[in-house]
Amino acid sequence: MSYVDTTAVTISPRARRWRLLRRRFLRRPLAVVGLVVAATFIVAAILAPVVAPYSAGETNFNAILLHSSSHHLLGTDELGRDVFSRIVWGARASIEAGVFSTLLAMAVAVPIGVVAGYYRGWTDTVIARLTDVLLAFPFLIVAVGLAAILGPSLTNATIALGIGAAPALIRIARGEALALREEDYVRAAVANGASDLRIISRHVVPNMLSTLIVQGTVLIPTAIIGEAVLSFLGLGVQPPTPSWGVMLSDAQSYLIQAPRLAIYPGIAVFLCSLSFNLLGDGLRDVLDPKTTR
Amino acid sequence: MKGKIARLAALAVGVLVVGALTATVAGARSSHSAVNFKNGGTLTIGLSEEPDALDPTLARTFVGRMVFESMCEKLYDLDSHLNIVPQLAAAMPQVSKDKLTYTIKLRKGVKFNDGTPFNAAAMKESLERDLTFKGSVRASEISPIKTIDAPNASTIVLHLSQPYSPLVSQLADRAGMAMSPKALASEGANFAQNPVCVGPFMYKDRVAGDHITLVRSPYYYAKSKVHLDSIVWKIMTDPSSRTAAMRAGDIQVEDRIQSTDVPTLRKDSSVNLVKAVTIGYQGITFNVGNKNGVGKPYSNVGTPLARSQDIRTAFDLALDRTTINKVVFGGLNAPDCYPLAPVSPWYKPTTSGLQCNLHANDAIASKLVKASGIANPTVNLLLGGTDPVTARLGQVIQAMEKNVGITVNVKPTEFTTSLNEATAGQFDAYAVGWSGRVDPDGNIYGFVATPGTLNYSGYSNPKLDYILNGARKSLSTKSRDTLYRAAMTIIHRQRPLIYLYHPVYYFGVSKKVAGVQIYGDGLIRAQFAGYTQ
Amino acid sequence: MGGFLLRKAGAALIVVFCSSVVVFAGVRALPGDPAIALSGENRDPAVLAAIRQKYGLDKPLPEQYLKWIWHALHGDLGVDQRDLPVAHTIIARIPITLELAVLAVLLGSVIGIVAGIVAAVRRGKAADHSATTFALVGLSLPHFWLGLMMIVVFAVDLHWLPAGGYVSFGSNPLGNLEHMLMPAIVLGTGLSAVLMRQMRSAMLTSLGADYVRTARAKGLPEWLVVGKHALRNSLITVTTVIGLQLGVLISGAVITEEIFVIPGFGHLTLDAIDQRDYTLLQGVILVVAAGYVLINLLVDVVYSLLNPRIRVQGSST
Repeated sequence: MSYVDTTAVTISPRARRWRLLRRRFLRRPLAVVGLVVAATFIVAAILAPVVAPYSAGETNFNAILLHSSSHHLLGTDELGRDVFSRIVWGARASIEAGVFSTLLAMAVAVPIGVVAGYYRGWTDTVIARLTDVLLAFPFLIVAVGLAAILGPSLTNATIALGIGAAPALIRIARGEALALREEDYVRAAVANGASDLRIISRHVVPNMLSTLIVQGTVLIPTAIIGEAVLSFLGLGVQPPTPSWGVMLSDAQSYLIQAPRLAIYPGIAVFLCSLSFNLLGDGLRDVLDPKTTR
Repeated sequence: MKGKIARLAALAVGVLVVGALTATVAGARSSHSAVNFKNGGTLTIGLSEEPDALDPTLARTFVGRMVFESMCEKLYDLDSHLNIVPQLAAAMPQVSKDKLTYTIKLRKGVKFNDGTPFNAAAMKESLERDLTFKGSVRASEISPIKTIDAPNASTIVLHLSQPYSPLVSQLADRAGMAMSPKALASEGANFAQNPVCVGPFMYKDRVAGDHITLVRSPYYYAKSKVHLDSIVWKIMTDPSSRTAAMRAGDIQVEDRIQSTDVPTLRKDSSVNLVKAVTIGYQGITFNVGNKNGVGKPYSNVGTPLARSQDIRTAFDLALDRTTINKVVFGGLNAPDCYPLAPVSPWYKPTTSGLQCNLHANDAIASKLVKASGIANPTVNLLLGGTDPVTARLGQVIQAMEKNVGITVNVKPTEFTTSLNEATAGQFDAYAVGWSGRVDPDGNIYGFVATPGTLNYSGYSNPKLDYILNGARKSLSTKSRDTLYRAAMTIIHRQRPLIYLYHPVYYFGVSKKVAGVQIYGDGLIRAQFAGYTQ
Repeated sequence: MGGFLLRKAGAALIVVFCSSVVVFAGVRALPGDPAIALSGENRDPAVLAAIRQKYGLDKPLPEQYLKWIWHALHGDLGVDQRDLPVAHTIIARIPITLELAVLAVLLGSVIGIVAGIVAAVRRGKAADHSATTFALVGLSLPHFWLGLMMIVVFAVDLHWLPAGGYVSFGSNPLGNLEHMLMPAIVLGTGLSAVLMRQMRSAMLTSLGADYVRTARAKGLPEWLVVGKHALRNSLITVTTVIGLQLGVLISGAVITEEIFVIPGFGHLTLDAIDQRDYTLLQGVILVVAAGYVLINLLVDVVYSLLNPRIRVQGSST
């Protein structure tokens, strides 16, 4: 009687690959930590009304600049608002800016980059030069300028960050498309007469996915810090909506009397971006066929 | 940071300096007689904003006036009690009976800082430039001047088209500054790149956004009063860094300390705090009639604030000025309800009998909101700045209005953009201030008179116009008192603007330095200062 | 080599020209009428009209652009709102930012490269773990927060270093370095983190290569093996990373200058945006863009000198 490995028969190649990836991921404690912490921030941001003991704008002019107490986990700020609650509510602005700006950057950059890399020729040259032009301007200046033009708000800051991050992503997508175009299966599909759209959507983009995911997890922390910088400069979230950047900006005047007002939001930005970085590193290792574990 | 020994040794002089410098209500007193000045040294002053073009015809910034104080003297100046006194003029002007001719005698033996003589012809040229130069910001300030004569080298005669009592106060500001004809001839429109005036100090160099350097002038007519070799005006827009530089001794004078740093500097043994209650104000302008922009025809804009005087009154009564001062400014400003400041001699006579609510009256305010008939009134509050202090103010106002049923949406906007939006009428309420002018006309006319160029409110009241024009033409203090009191009553009742406080500026002066004067106009006068250690 | 350079230079020139159009359009898109900003507290329509005429704001946009670019090519970038020549201001303030950038790159490179080499050589050991952790921290730390914290600790509490400001090297070399130390550290942290990781990865790759194993088998001393490869790898890596990170560095300089109140042109840019100083803003951003393109060109040239394959293949970007 021959032994049949039933699991091998019932699991599809896709699911098997997924299982393999998951196993590799779980072998990396740092990546898992990153995932858990990042998820915590996201959940806290979504569930802010439940998690935060106070509302974000609840002022109390008789309770300004208090230290930590049973009523206020991290104390109160210069207008008597609960610092812990504002950090939780502030997660919303950071996560929103971080995630959506990255998605925007991808949505803009991937099609443009793929078209440039796939079609080559004049299309490629024009797009590459235009990208060079955009890259000639420092990311922050572009973001500040866009935010100044569009007006200060979280949405505009998100848009500005997304557009600021797009040029570099275009280059990466272009590079990937250029390389993938030379792969055998793509050439075979071209020879078979498949339409460009079909080739791009079925062969090119899916094979860029792992690179894109890794880039995404690198972009998100940059965007989170970018939102903090824009809000710090007064160009992002507007009061009374809290954001970690706004809290840092407000805290500058109180650095001598109450440095804790600057420490807490700073730690929040740091931990949030660190968790995404750890996650990104882990994913890169997992998805890279060259690593063995 | 010097050691204890140095501090002890300086204590004796420090006592003198403290006594001479620490002002209580109306600014600093002169301290020349009691102090031993050392000759020489460079005074570095940390400014909170950057001056614009150093051209008296074009200049429009408050801090620019501070730099001009040391390098560009004018026909008249202010003394410590905000009285107008002659500077380049030899005496107060002789005014004709019909109030249309002003004869001004000029000081003799004065030279410009390029050695050329200061005389009537030069003063006439400067005034004419102010009136006719393209883009002159001074023209509207002295517009009633029709012609200028220079009958001899030390007399000028101004012929006006109509009586204008604020004229002399304008000549005590940039409009009265003398520019060297030789420099005007060679630089022309680029005068700001190498300005030459009459002054104890002269322009040396400037790096945009960083500093302006002035050096002692060998041509000044009262050289004995000058002790320093040079003055460096450093641009330090970040208030926390400015204070850090003051504490570290990198600067010897700090412009306008932020309220959160005042307690720290009070405890600093190397720094004297100088307090100046200013003649400016900070208030909230309500858009009543500004539909299409300042200067275009005004008509009610239909918002809750515009339609209902009850809502405007309620808005005012909901604000607890004392708490605002405490929470936003650490209790350091002077809460008030009027555009003229208590330090001004015009304050008492023009506000007697009027009620000012320093504390909120939520009960009456809520009642007024209900009585207005407008359900859930919402106000879009435009803030003239994105800095943390302005943001605090906006949020406190928002919280207070919530208590009486008015919803306020705060819109922090960059100052420049806010000016545009306010001019275009794109706001419901605008939190903005005014640096203040000595003459009451300067704090009122432009904002509430129908032809006022700063009438963001779009307020048009013919009766008020009549009163304000009369006050402009009258030269009698008594009748002006009565007229401005009538104007205040109208403004206070109809509330096109409400006033929250008068800024009290705190300046830091190193204990090694004496002679830095700061009056109620808030300007740093450092030209006759010097080191005492 | 000549043809390659020419092509690269030509592309760079086109990019700079297109950048000038983008700069001009971007600056004009800022909301707010600059005439009102320039007139201060005065709203006299005659004054506003005269201001518009003085700065050429009443002419059609294409004409304004051509006039500006024509003057710029002759070195005249116009006057700013203070009536001061823009070119003057840029020349005065660029060296300051350059000094900051150079110090940051030096600090970041030294720390990053050394850490990367150590981590690769001591792979898997404590040194590797701590270096990798520090790199991760350096990447995730918002550097403006790091700056604020350093000010609190080293300037306000300990009084070891000044809280901000700048003194020129010429007038006071020690003071200059004191003022630049914290900003350079803050700015260089991100760079050192990226460099460290790249360096480590590059070293690991090359140390695992066959010819290295051969060299070791031959008995060559370890330090020679590591040293030779370290040298070659570091040059290539540093060049590549700096080229990629340049934009990030300039962005970082902007906020670092803001916090430490350093009068470089990052600070100048923010102020100019705030004040709607069109002429100044245009001049500054054009110079930044042109400088960036130039430096990228240099990086490309250096990279191709180090890596001949690029030259032969032609441009890969």
